[in-house]
Amino acid sequence: MYTLGIDIGSTTSKAVILENGKKIVAHVVVPLGTGTVGPVRALAEIFEQSGISHEQIAYTIATGYGRLICAEADEQSSELSCHAKGIHLLLPQADTVIDIGGQDAKALKLSPLGRLLAFQMNDKCAAGTGRFLDVMARVLNVPIEQLGPLSAASKQPAKISNTCTVFAESEVISQLSAQVPLADIAAGIHNSVAKRVAGMALRLGHPVCLAMSGGVALNSGVVQAMEKEMGCPILVDPLCQSAGAIGAAVLAYEKLLQAKERR
Amino acid sequence: MADLHTNIESLKQACQNPRAQLDKYLAEGKKVIGCFEPYTPEELVHASGMIPLGLWGGQTDLKLVKSYLPPFACPIMQANLELGLNGTYQGLSGVIIPAICDTLRCMTQNWRFGVPDIPMIPIVYPQNRASEASTDYLISEYENVLVMLATITGQMMTEKALCRTIEIYNEHNAVMREFASLAVKHLDIITPAIRHAIMKSALFFEKSEHTAIVKEINESLNALPDYKFVGKKVILTGITGEPATFLEILAKNKLAVVGDDLAQESRQFRTDIPISGGGGLKRLALQWKNRTCCSLIHELGRPRGSLLSELCQQTQADGVINCLMKFCDPEEYDQPWLEADLKKAGYPCLTVEIDPLNTSFEQLHTRIQTFAEML
Amino acid sequence: MMSESIATIKAADSAPQVKPKRPKPKSMLMLAEQSAALFENARLAKERGEKVGWSASIFPQEIAETLGLNVLYPENHAAGIAARHQADPFLQECEGPMGYSNDLCAYAKLNLAYTSVLNNESAIELPDGGKLVKPDFLLLTNNICNQLTKWYENLARQLQIPIFFIDTCYNPWDYVTESRVRYVRAQIDELIKNLCEFTNKKWDDEHFKEVMKISQRNSFLWERANNLLDRKPAPLSGFELFNYMSSMVCNRGKTSSTAILKQLNSEIEQHIADGTSTFPVAEQFRISWDGIACWPYLSHNLRTLKKYGINMVASSYGKAWAIEYDDLDGMARAYCFASTNGDNASTMIERRLEALKRFGCEGTIYHVNRSCKVMDCQMMEVQRQLAKAAGIPFTSFDGDQADYRNYSEAQFETRIQGLVEVMQQNKEDL
Repeated sequence: MYTLGIDIGSTTSKAVILENGKKIVAHVVVPLGTGTVGPVRALAEIFEQSGISHEQIAYTIATGYGRLICAEADEQSSELSCHAKGIHLLLPQADTVIDIGGQDAKALKLSPLGRLLAFQMNDKCAAGTGRFLDVMARVLNVPIEQLGPLSAASKQPAKISNTCTVFAESEVISQLSAQVPLADIAAGIHNSVAKRVAGMALRLGHPVCLAMSGGVALNSGVVQAMEKEMGCPILVDPLCQSAGAIGAAVLAYEKLLQAKERR
Repeated sequence: MADLHTNIESLKQACQNPRAQLDKYLAEGKKVIGCFEPYTPEELVHASGMIPLGLWGGQTDLKLVKSYLPPFACPIMQANLELGLNGTYQGLSGVIIPAICDTLRCMTQNWRFGVPDIPMIPIVYPQNRASEASTDYLISEYENVLVMLATITGQMMTEKALCRTIEIYNEHNAVMREFASLAVKHLDIITPAIRHAIMKSALFFEKSEHTAIVKEINESLNALPDYKFVGKKVILTGITGEPATFLEILAKNKLAVVGDDLAQESRQFRTDIPISGGGGLKRLALQWKNRTCCSLIHELGRPRGSLLSELCQQTQADGVINCLMKFCDPEEYDQPWLEADLKKAGYPCLTVEIDPLNTSFEQLHTRIQTFAEML
Repeated sequence: MMSESIATIKAADSAPQVKPKRPKPKSMLMLAEQSAALFENARLAKERGEKVGWSASIFPQEIAETLGLNVLYPENHAAGIAARHQADPFLQECEGPMGYSNDLCAYAKLNLAYTSVLNNESAIELPDGGKLVKPDFLLLTNNICNQLTKWYENLARQLQIPIFFIDTCYNPWDYVTESRVRYVRAQIDELIKNLCEFTNKKWDDEHFKEVMKISQRNSFLWERANNLLDRKPAPLSGFELFNYMSSMVCNRGKTSSTAILKQLNSEIEQHIADGTSTFPVAEQFRISWDGIACWPYLSHNLRTLKKYGINMVASSYGKAWAIEYDDLDGMARAYCFASTNGDNASTMIERRLEALKRFGCEGTIYHVNRSCKVMDCQMMEVQRQLAKAAGIPFTSFDGDQADYRNYSEAQFETRIQGLVEVMQQNKEDL
């Protein structure tokens, strides 16, 4: 039985097809988010990639920012619940997940069965989100995916105190003028994000086994800084960016099973 | 007796257009006094023959207020001052401002200079209620308010009028409490938005008028069979549970409001004025002493968590939504304690930021949906 | 007379430090000793099994002093942590695991986290080794602000200790009503009785009279020292006066403060006699500073001001302890009008206008202290009226008394430069 999960985020659209709620048959990430052709393209690509047809999909769940306007979906669910389920499939040992997305940051506490127990969110302020990193990458004139490797060379991370993205930008600019090495500034930026996010996450208590998901988890510099702030190692699955879509597909499968039992 | 739907509509209308209520009373030749949140001695206004109207902010663009308040003042203050500065409140004969938090303290001064044609009547409630002397002090504050009200009406309030007003207010409290308990049995009709409208509309009516309407609503509800609600039940706590979109999101996620500890709603109705113990002013002062579990009133032990647990038990609620007013520091100090107490008592608690001036609700929707999925 | 045992330990700097680039004046050394003694005496008292308290900064210190109680001041302590750039772990702890909002006053945030460590609920390292010892009671007034009340409520619950509270009721008018005096006086009487019971101390009227005398002498000396800056050029870099606030807040009823303030006065008078000043460059502009210091960025503030020869010669703190009275009724009235309690707009404007005129200020710098809504929410109206009445320009900048994350160096520099341009213009127009 195939189920489809779609995660329509602010900057990317992801789709995943699961077989029997466990095996990832196909997954697709399109760098266009809600309000663009992203979601449509993601769907087209996943059917093409998997060779599975639209009719073979038993149930579809949409999640993410753009979930409410996804015509393909049978149902929609919040990305918090879906991320929880997705990470649980990828990393069943994780009890806490931190997801730093484009627009917000979340911390999720999971039960051993992958159920969402509690959550914290930062959704009002750009600091501590992917947006902060985008702004800073532009100031440094470095492609965003280079920030991680760049910061690895840092000997003395710069201090960026400001929690206001606008003010922090000005801090970074003055450090550039002062000839502070790019690597140090990059590391400083990562530390700033990590501090902000860790503070929010620690409201859920100290994790036993911590995982990160979302696009920013692919930035090794942020992950390292987070490990320091949280005081524990962090697991990152290469498919973590698709965790929401995976979770949506898992949830779709669970809903089907529930429906079968009721009959 | 008007039918249920008509009554509910008229209360909804009053909430959507408080200005029309003001105009209605002005057309009747009445004088109207604006009463800032959360607590003012509106009984004194009523007993003086004027109409108290609640000023709890609103949804408006902020322009003029930026010359008075920094961005980190709460949305209710921002809106109240903006509406005062831009003339929306024209027609009010005065406003009463209680200096009960730091921002409200400053509001007395901002209003004094910013809106000079609507007289500002300050009142400073005593916070050391354990001291016997606090009662006499509060009576003095009431007398100051009365003197200022007298300059508007041209005469002093009588004791007889005050006693009658106290009866009216106590009756209103009782009717509202009855509504709150009836509402739980008719959650198909009393959706979160409608419950809120019925509660909030009390701010925009002369009290006995509002009592009459809610009495009819109660009667109508009583005549109907109980409704078996399928979904999750929540208690709201905080300053206000607004705006309407927030309440719609609750309903969309099959969440029903079965009780509240909101400053704008039940906190206004849950403490009666004692029917004995002295003259009217004294009894009003004693009512202040009896108020409990409000972030704005000094109290030891952080009892709000227990109040909420009890309320959950009584109403069989599944959880609590803490409606944390943006930039409200008194509420922010309470937050970790009530969250911890509820967690200990086994009731899930979700804290959401309330900002009536906010126009984007996606984040709120996600949080509430997730909470509903978790319950 | 309560004897002070000034412990002979290394004088640890507990007061926020404005570092002059020359050997410290004697008054500063005395100040450091006094601060150290305050903490050490409290620690020793605790060891002896005596009850020690924490107090709000404008609580009538005469009461604790008369009773011979050791009392510490969380607000000052937090300022010290902030000035020494040690605030970060506390802020992270408070906003993180403790679950408090970022919006709260940073003194409260720092202290709540510090308390959590003292109470074995948090594990962050205390840079001062825990010298702000765990209290057995709290002394609270709300004449500074209402956040104090909520902060202390939380401390009381966290530590399971009593609060001795004097509700001082804000004054929306330019005077204190008799109804307030009666209420506050009744509370003072009750408080003294309850505090004596709790701490096993006895109230001595004669001693109280002595403490009153000492306190008022110190208030006089403090105001006198501040007023000496009305000379042109000022004999002191005005920011240095912020240091002595620890005497005025934490030790106002003590003879050690009298000694320090006498010393300070004579040092300033020596400068006047010699024609010298601790202000490091030629004084080009005289300004008043509105609000508390931006402790985490004092050095940046000073560097920037120095660049333009701007000396802060007046602040709102010069008269802050002009608390004069003869008896308990008078004390009730005085504390009711103290601090921001007496800061309804017209009183505030009048006081500042007087200062601007007296000290010959050419401009005002407003510190929009993110931690301090009680000041910020009426600041704009006050600025407008004051600028009009005094005819001098002003600028404001975003900062914080303790949260180092609420500041931008670039913004401060730009705004000061702007102010200088206007002041310069005004000078040339004369």
